[in-house]
Amino acid sequence: MAITQLPASGVTRKVEATQAERVARRRHRRESIAQTAVAAFIALFFFAPIAYWFLVSVKPLTYTMSWPPVLLSEPIFDWYEVVVLGLDPNVGAKTGIVFNGAAGDYYVIPYLLNSIVIGVLSTIVAVGLATPAAYALSRFHFQRRSSVIAWILSTRMMPPVVAMFPLFWLYTQADQRVFSSIFGRGTSVLYDSLLGVLLVHVVVNLPLSTLLLKSFFDDIPTDLDEAAMVDGCTRWQAFSKVIWHYALPGMAAAAILAFITSWNEFLLTLTVTRTQFRTVPVFGSTFDVSAAGTEWGALAAVSTTAMVPVFIFVLIVQRNLVRGLTMGAVKG
Amino acid sequence: MTQLHTHKRKHPWWSPERPWVWLLPIVILLAIYSVYPFIFNIIISFQRFDPMDKAFKWNFPANWINLFTNSDFLKAFRITATYGIIALVVELVLGIAIALAFDRSRVRLRGLWQSLFILPMVVPPVIAGLMFRFLQNADYGIISNILYALGIIERSEPLIGGTGRNVLLAVLIADVWQWTPFVALIVLAGLKSMPHEPLEAAVVDGATPWQLFWEIKLPLLRGVLAVAVLFRIVDLLRLFDYVAIMTSGGPGGNSETISHYAYRMHKSIEWGMVSVIGIVVLILAIVVTNAYMRAFKVKF
Repeated sequence: MAITQLPASGVTRKVEATQAERVARRRHRRESIAQTAVAAFIALFFFAPIAYWFLVSVKPLTYTMSWPPVLLSEPIFDWYEVVVLGLDPNVGAKTGIVFNGAAGDYYVIPYLLNSIVIGVLSTIVAVGLATPAAYALSRFHFQRRSSVIAWILSTRMMPPVVAMFPLFWLYTQADQRVFSSIFGRGTSVLYDSLLGVLLVHVVVNLPLSTLLLKSFFDDIPTDLDEAAMVDGCTRWQAFSKVIWHYALPGMAAAAILAFITSWNEFLLTLTVTRTQFRTVPVFGSTFDVSAAGTEWGALAAVSTTAMVPVFIFVLIVQRNLVRGLTMGAVKG
Repeated sequence: MTQLHTHKRKHPWWSPERPWVWLLPIVILLAIYSVYPFIFNIIISFQRFDPMDKAFKWNFPANWINLFTNSDFLKAFRITATYGIIALVVELVLGIAIALAFDRSRVRLRGLWQSLFILPMVVPPVIAGLMFRFLQNADYGIISNILYALGIIERSEPLIGGTGRNVLLAVLIADVWQWTPFVALIVLAGLKSMPHEPLEAAVVDGATPWQLFWEIKLPLLRGVLAVAVLFRIVDLLRLFDYVAIMTSGGPGGNSETISHYAYRMHKSIEWGMVSVIGIVVLILAIVVTNAYMRAFKVKF
């Protein structure tokens, strides 16, 4: 009897335990579903405009410029042929879209290349100059250090309209009065040139990169510098041979932010360019969107083409984003 | 200590053992971007550009008097301030709420939702402006039609157009869409690095989730919130891109911000006025951010 009872009671206890567990597990699953649903709803809500805008780029305008719109139809890629390949949809057997503009007007590739070249070069220069400066601000305890930091910070806080006209004037006057007499009439070294746009993009990114990198150098123990210098390195060698390797994550974070800032920069690029070296945002601003004949399909295709590279880039690097966005004030 | 001093004195200012040579390139470049414009703006603010002679001429206090008696500028100032405060409050409340929702312990596929959620932040504002211009079209725009259906706005007064009564709402929608993720992401970083002990102690003491938020989480988030708000203030003070793309300041100047007003002056060659605005905006930005950083002890 005793022998048969023991396992039996054991089984009962086990069943009771699993029942309690099952209740708990069911509650957890319910919680998990509810919480996931809320997070998914928020994410999709914020993603929806981008998705809708993408749909506009793969539909004829008659489908999207009506209410209610027709969104469940076979996608067409004619708008991408216009903006990416520069084809004229009115020539040949294009049937999907009606296009009223001049085909070349929406050809985005040159502007995309401008954005990429300017973004990459200005990021390299900005981070390259900011890294030694940040090292110095972190390591040297000189008298005016806090005023230098405050000044750098104030340039980050400064609205770009403050520099808009002075830079425009500097660029046009330097070209007319100085560079024209050196390189011949009508040369533009600064205004409407790669150098001029690069300078603006570098300068806009310097304060953020410098202060962000300073926060990374502050986290690297000074013992490392001292050890290197005891071993016979000069200050410069301690930095260039040893310490900067430890700041690589910081340089990555600064580079990501610098590239995104450069990719989005608008007001100053608009002021210092006329036709050459305009970036995608400036290109996007040239269309009259209040007019009746706006080619929204082409603009949606331009937008998608401009957004996708940055999206891929951000999805790869998003772990570094928080610290960068706050110039090191919040550690992500 | 004495050794350190003699060590220092041995090196001239341009030696790499001293800080200046490390800082020289960025100091020169940042001076071109901030010191030169500041001085230049002060000088030009007392002058007027004569398009006939293509030269600046002195007209001593006229630009300054003009600015502070100019109803367009005062309106732009008012719009920038009220719009900024409303946008800030909306983004802050939504950002905190969303960060709390993402921070729950049993969210599946959190990485996926977070990735989708932060994408608005990296869309160039000009592109976002184009997109919302389409989505907010009075006839076929999906956002307009949703707002009509909800009874928030009427067809006679669309988001963009009409008398411009709702035009700031149009800009606000774009702004909130793009920058709430920024606030939420920073708050989320704050929640993740939060110490567990006070939260656990409060749970043991039987605190409700509401109490947990107001009495423990929010005070602990003070630091990160201060940083998020600072960056939003800086961006809202310079608001330009959406306005330039979506509304050009209209209708009736109802969405004209200070930056857009300055840009319009620049286009119409009123460069003396642009310089006055530049100085006013610079002082405003520095006073506001400095006072803010001091009050909330934000350090970089």
